[in-house]
Amino acid sequence: MKTVRGWVLLTVGLCGLVAASVPAQGIPAFARRTGLRCTACHEAWPVLNDFGRAFRDNGYQLRTGKDKPTDNPFAFWPTSFRLTPSYQYSSVSAQQTDQGKKTLGTGGVADAAMDFLAAGTLNDDVGFLVVPTGFASNGNVHLESYWVYFSRLFGNSDWFNVRVGKHEVDLPVSAHRSIELTNSYLIYNYHPAAASDVAGAFAIDQNQRGFEITGHDRGSFTRYNFSVFDGNGSPGSRNGFESPSFYGHFQKYWQLDSYSVSELELGAWGAYAQYPTQTLTLNGQPIGGAGGSLRPSERYGVEASILLGPATTPVHLSLVLAHGQDNKDLYQGAAVRNATWNGGFFEAIWVPPVDGLHWSLFTRYDMIRNDKQPTTDVPKSMNDQDQFTIGTKYTLAFFNRNEYAIHVEYATNNMKHMAFDGGNQRTMTWFAGIDFAF
Amino acid sequence: MKTRSIALASLLLAATAAAVAAPVFADEPPGDAAHGKFVYQRYCLSCHGELGNGQGEFAQYITPRPRDYRQGTFKWRSTPSGSLPTVADLEKTIKDGVYGTYMPTWFPIGHRARLDVIAYIQLFSDRWKTEKPEAPLVIPPEPPNTSASIDKGRKLYTSLKCAQCHGESAQGDGVSAHELKDDWGQLIEPADLTISARYKCGDTPADIYRVFMTGLNGTPMPTFVEQISKDDAWDLAHFIWSLRPGGPNHPQPPAIKGK
Repeated sequence: MKTVRGWVLLTVGLCGLVAASVPAQGIPAFARRTGLRCTACHEAWPVLNDFGRAFRDNGYQLRTGKDKPTDNPFAFWPTSFRLTPSYQYSSVSAQQTDQGKKTLGTGGVADAAMDFLAAGTLNDDVGFLVVPTGFASNGNVHLESYWVYFSRLFGNSDWFNVRVGKHEVDLPVSAHRSIELTNSYLIYNYHPAAASDVAGAFAIDQNQRGFEITGHDRGSFTRYNFSVFDGNGSPGSRNGFESPSFYGHFQKYWQLDSYSVSELELGAWGAYAQYPTQTLTLNGQPIGGAGGSLRPSERYGVEASILLGPATTPVHLSLVLAHGQDNKDLYQGAAVRNATWNGGFFEAIWVPPVDGLHWSLFTRYDMIRNDKQPTTDVPKSMNDQDQFTIGTKYTLAFFNRNEYAIHVEYATNNMKHMAFDGGNQRTMTWFAGIDFAF
Repeated sequence: MKTRSIALASLLLAATAAAVAAPVFADEPPGDAAHGKFVYQRYCLSCHGELGNGQGEFAQYITPRPRDYRQGTFKWRSTPSGSLPTVADLEKTIKDGVYGTYMPTWFPIGHRARLDVIAYIQLFSDRWKTEKPEAPLVIPPEPPNTSASIDKGRKLYTSLKCAQCHGESAQGDGVSAHELKDDWGQLIEPADLTISARYKCGDTPADIYRVFMTGLNGTPMPTFVEQISKDDAWDLAHFIWSLRPGGPNHPQPPAIKGK
């Protein structure tokens, strides 16, 4: 009871603090270019709605005859940034200390990083995105994403478009546009016994270097994506691609003429990433980029989503299921069989029909269940995970220039047999911040 | 008895004549304004404004200005000049957008959301409470688009003084081009009919035909329905169509002699 009361007080205090502040004067690139508010493209920022998905699939074009850079005001620069100053408290149970098994928790104002976003068009039907990210106190900055997108390569057809560069593959639910700010989607990056897995770093939610072929109908209600890329975190191999990998995704949406169920969506997706398991050596040492004997880390699945209520103020439910497998050779001789697992997540986002569309409430449950461990000497349920996230976002203001919101979130994750003594380990996170974009 | 029969017959004839003169058409009903308010807040507010007065936060930066809904005056209609548009007319504008302006196509938001926002937009003007849209103009089948038709259209372009606003070369640079104002007192530029393969009013010769016959309410573009025949309107539409990029009368840069 005391905890709940404290949390309510903290939220109210933050609301008051921010409401009293002067609205930011920045200019998010797309909103400034198009004149539209963030709500036009984002169901609950940064999650895209149908209109936003079509805008993205069209290469950041509205196709009103004003998409060329020369159609924009002379002073327009296609840049913006996003930052989330926040307080975060995390605790991890079953920690080993000299004083015995403890739950250790720590908190503070996070050393925030920032996304600097440059995105727009280079010409009619040529879009681009460049995202330097980092800028935290460690001084690290890297290019999170960079690509050029050629749309309508054949006549006026939207069925063949090509993206070249480092891009997020077209996931069932975008990890880079997640409304949750604490836990990641488990099925996108899980590996059984990841520490000894050459492909352990492979995460399909990371931006990947390669190219993508995409296509869609008018409105982006039927769409496909196919990416060829270098799987991230590879030591490299003697091939045209260091870690030749593939991803495919198909989605079909149905808009229904109903206020109770306004939209349905079904889809299927799959990733096949290959990593080298052997390498040439010099003086007994591995030669970088000289790997061979590629073996796969796979994950594939199906998805369904539904919009309950009007599409403008929906309860958006998404279910994504996955099956994964890492080849036994990826474990460098430590495995006796391929490791397999099943998992999924269920996400709900609600934009209540309240004047101004300021509120969004969200929750997500992620699950991993191992099917076969790579070795037989550990429990089958080793590192099975259950993750739960719940939160709310109150957007204090969104204009066609900027948006800023209060974001409050609670997340917990339970991992089986992952504590030092073979017991379960639980992580818990409280998060409260101001999410804003110029 | 005879007088009574004549009176009844007269009444019947009058009723029949009235029915012929004012044909009933089945317009699609708008949606739910309560839901439409949220559609409006999500997609329309930044340009058209909270009060529907066309003075949203982005309006000051763009030309042409966003529609002020309070007068119930709309440019693109299938109905006669001065009439309210049908729900189908409004949905077409929302669904297809207005090319060359900041009004995008709202095709992805779906039919239901479009009908709902139309119901909400209708609340901004009392005209919707007291008037009904008149019956839409019937567009006759398009005759063949021949060079003879285009030539007739060119002569009509001159005789109807289209060049006064749109210019001799139809590039929106007529002598009156810089003096034109809309019903809200805002300067308004006549269309450059050569610049794009798409027009604000639509993508087909029939869309151009419709503009001649309905005019563009709220702008200096009048209706020519009383001045030209249907065949004339098609000829004029064919001439305008020929000015598009790729069309036979599209302006070309000067040729170099001997090349």
